[in-house]
Amino acid sequence: MSATVSAVIAQRPAQGGKPSITYRYAGDRAVLVEYGEMEFDLTLNFFVLAVDDALREDRPDGLIETAPGFRSILVSYDPFELELDALVEHLHGVHDDLQAETEIEIPSRLVHLPLAFDDSQTRGAVERYLNSIRKDAPNAEGGTNVDYVVRYNGFADREELYDAVLATEQWSAFIGFFPGLPFMFPLDPRETVFVPKYNPTRTWTPEGALGIGGPCFAIYPVESAGGYQLVGRTLPIYDLRGRNAAFRENPLLLRAGDRVRFHRVDEDELLGLFKDVHANRYRYRIEEGTFDVGAYLEWLPSVADEAEERGRRREAAAAETPVP
Amino acid sequence: MRAVEILEGGIQTTVQDYPGRRGLLAQGFFPAGPMDHFAFRAANLLVGNDASAAGLEVTLGNVALRLRGDATVAVCGAEAPVTVDGEELPLWESRRLEGGSELHIGVSPGPGFRLYVAFSGGIDVPPLFGSRATYTMGALGGLEGRALVQGDRFGLLPESGDGAGRRLKPSARPVYEREWEVRAMRGPQAAPDYLTEADMQTFFGRPWPVDRNSNRTGIRLESHKFEWARRSGGIAGGHPSNILDNSYPVGAVNVNGDLPVILGPDGPTAGGFVVAATVAHADFWKIGQFRPVGDTVRFREVTIEEAIGLETAVNEILSPANLE
Repeated sequence: MSATVSAVIAQRPAQGGKPSITYRYAGDRAVLVEYGEMEFDLTLNFFVLAVDDALREDRPDGLIETAPGFRSILVSYDPFELELDALVEHLHGVHDDLQAETEIEIPSRLVHLPLAFDDSQTRGAVERYLNSIRKDAPNAEGGTNVDYVVRYNGFADREELYDAVLATEQWSAFIGFFPGLPFMFPLDPRETVFVPKYNPTRTWTPEGALGIGGPCFAIYPVESAGGYQLVGRTLPIYDLRGRNAAFRENPLLLRAGDRVRFHRVDEDELLGLFKDVHANRYRYRIEEGTFDVGAYLEWLPSVADEAEERGRRREAAAAETPVP
Repeated sequence: MRAVEILEGGIQTTVQDYPGRRGLLAQGFFPAGPMDHFAFRAANLLVGNDASAAGLEVTLGNVALRLRGDATVAVCGAEAPVTVDGEELPLWESRRLEGGSELHIGVSPGPGFRLYVAFSGGIDVPPLFGSRATYTMGALGGLEGRALVQGDRFGLLPESGDGAGRRLKPSARPVYEREWEVRAMRGPQAAPDYLTEADMQTFFGRPWPVDRNSNRTGIRLESHKFEWARRSGGIAGGHPSNILDNSYPVGAVNVNGDLPVILGPDGPTAGGFVVAATVAHADFWKIGQFRPVGDTVRFREVTIEEAIGLETAVNEILSPANLE
């Protein structure tokens, strides 16, 4: 019987404008590197993506791959080529060489996507849920999740929710769960939308559905099960067959560090655009660029009061709303 | 051209290769590959293939196929009646078969749950992102990203071995059981920050029944009320098993609410649940042989040094020195 060991390999305190770092065992072939505390702080994700970028540039033999999370990176390695101590030492070095959080610039594209709110496909998914899984789900009353999201957040009406979704760029913090699924968070804290997930989960979701779970937005890359509340539908973000030029080099449209901006279309237009995507007539609008973390952090205080006020309204409404 | 025709596909028979599709975790792809890498690698070794050659993973049995052209064939894995044109073909042995031969794999009575079939040269399906493995969650790889059905046909790549029949020494063969013991390392999220030390002792102390809803995405165990070191998941969610989403290692034992699940090779790459322990890579093959009803698993805690030692031992067993 082995002596009890800790799951923590090493820890470093916050220093030089960089967050604290915790290295954790994730089996004998991976290390989970965590940054800062368990806080909903996008700055941690900016730092994660900067580290991930640096690791791609400077990768020792035996480092197999890195996979970011919200405030962590899973580093997979071959222990026969790269010893754990050497890996941790290398990661220390990468962290030391990095600039402080406030000085980081991250490669970041701005991806424009059309969005049809409360379309018949997502409503169909909710109907199916009511009919086959849970007919008394409070989040699916009336055959849509939209009204529940409105109520839970204390919005006056649907239009106020739609305005919130359209008013901000969404930060793609990392890709995961399914191939190509972006975990996205509003960059403007005033436009935060928070909502509990399904209970139990849904068995079908249409391709391109936009869902919200907790503080996170996600686009479903393929028809699949899911647990996020559905508010509308956008275009394909994953196509293995490469029917559109956007997918010829990589079947995934979105990357970690991208920003997504939605613009509103009606459902007929969206369905027409779907056809155009498949026929390679549609061109996704993608602007190359970088994201200036310092400028963003300087801007944040100017909206902090308003964000806090809206947060209070949200919490008051949530307290009055049943959880699924 | 040498080929194989599927006469009966069984419950779930897929094309796999080892170690599967690496390097795409950050895009949302788990590696896929054989659920039992030991039996799969043994079958390839027996027919003289490279370790990277693709073969078949058979779930439970009830599979029949016909060879077009000669091939050396080996079947390894769960105890099951296996015949070639009505004559017994022992497991863990390779044999030269003539074109037209029919291979039948009956239903395995256990212990064990999966069988692997290697053909000299390996299965010729187009590699996708460097692997031929079928990834059910992404519906890609293998033959059209799906399990094989009657009437499917695939080619075989040119052979390199000498075609001689060989067998794996009995001392080198794994022992399948109904009460499994699997070596695992604690973490990344364990005691004292997420679970209590008493929880960890329970986790490593008790046998866990394998749930019927287990498959290549994960092995579900039995719900258990852990004490938890935290009262809730805080900003990540109400339940103390909730964390801000991070990437999962292969072999992660995550705790979904109260339910521990061992993530399989087709599992989700990321999510927001505590991972209490991670199965040592050398023992990961065992989860492919768990029978979904009736089997139990007990986790035994090992250090990273012990886990790497186990891996060295497995690699030594799977060497030509153990063929006769």
